[in-house]
Amino acid sequence: MDPVLLLDVLLLILAVLAAVAAMLQRDLLGSVMLMGIYSLLMAVIWANLFAMDVSFTEASVGAGAATVLLLMALTRIGTRERSGGDHSLPALVLVVLTGVVLLYGTSELPRFGDPQAPAQLHIAPRYLAQDIGKVSDSATPQDSPHGEGDFGHHVPNTVTAVLASYRGYDTMFETAVIFSAGMCLLLLLRPIPRRSPETVTIDESGSTSHQKSESVVLRTIGGMLIPYILVFGFYVQMHGEIGPGGGFQAGVLVAAAFILHSLLFGRAATDRWLPRWLVDLAMSLGVLLYAGTGVACMAMGGHFLDYSALDRVHPAEAEALGMTLVEAGVGLTVASVVLTIVRKVQGGTR
Amino acid sequence: MNAELLAALLVLGGALLAGVRSVLGPTFYDRVLAVNVFGTKAVMLLAIIGFIGDRSGFLDIAILYGLINFIATVALLRFVESGRYSS
Repeated sequence: MDPVLLLDVLLLILAVLAAVAAMLQRDLLGSVMLMGIYSLLMAVIWANLFAMDVSFTEASVGAGAATVLLLMALTRIGTRERSGGDHSLPALVLVVLTGVVLLYGTSELPRFGDPQAPAQLHIAPRYLAQDIGKVSDSATPQDSPHGEGDFGHHVPNTVTAVLASYRGYDTMFETAVIFSAGMCLLLLLRPIPRRSPETVTIDESGSTSHQKSESVVLRTIGGMLIPYILVFGFYVQMHGEIGPGGGFQAGVLVAAAFILHSLLFGRAATDRWLPRWLVDLAMSLGVLLYAGTGVACMAMGGHFLDYSALDRVHPAEAEALGMTLVEAGVGLTVASVVLTIVRKVQGGTR
Repeated sequence: MNAELLAALLVLGGALLAGVRSVLGPTFYDRVLAVNVFGTKAVMLLAIIGFIGDRSGFLDIAILYGLINFIATVALLRFVESGRYSS
């Protein structure tokens, strides 16, 4: 049997088991842990399907940000699930029916890995060969003036090529959506006013990371780990066009490094390293960088986000330069929005 | 059955045992340890799958896990340390 297929089947069974166990668990902290296991399994499954970028995202979001976020939520709502009585029969019927319809729908889908599937035949071969530029011949693989080892205008990671070049507009508005999510949180989650005695105790005892950790071992080891996470985030950011990763993943990684810092040394210390106004600024700066790259292309005589217009700045590397700038914008916005989300959910006070 | 697949299956078996412990685990600390072990197994599994498929990109994801898995564990333990959890 094909090893990839065999592993896939086993991993999927494990993932379903983990998901069911997370639902049945009455203790919400246990559910959070099982969701962590579920997300680990999903990352391995994505990797097994060679969806490297998806796996990277699942790994950084699932392990780094989501668990912390869920724990922050638990500090507000407590860890016990209210017992029963709120099961609705019509809802169950509806869910089962939807599931049956979805399962029926999958019978129409092409078989797994079918080379004749429409997805493989339409424009995917041209994306993979990268022989279409967005405009004129901007993305044509060609002999590079820098010789071997340079990829010419060809970007080895097709996902990044599609994301940052062919579908540059989509990604720009995705970044804008993330930015608006951050803005909405800033507007919605205002500091809790001290009304009831209950709220006061929450404020005073603080949530998970208001006070710093007392453990010397944890602070030493964690402190050593943070620079490595940051460096790895930078690598993922800059290397996204060659290996898996890119702005989205790098942003979450960098945010995770700062989350770890605030877990170990307290929120006040993190605010000294990374002032809050800087996070707010970076949030909008990222979108500005992305859209600004597009406008710069227009100013140099190309279309919006037509990186070949950047030729005058950096001949022969225009496509790479444009993609790097755009990915940097994505990374900035994602990192600052994730930090803002965690900060807003964890903190009762501003 | 070749050696790589056997290794992957054994690691998966270990992960399954850790997963069972994370559901049963009488105390909170058993569960945290189980989740941590599960993360380590995932790193191993990614490295082995990368070897089977001959892809170097898998190692990037494995490194990512090695670095990030720590954060979830720290967050869980800090949560309990802050005294907001009673089992």
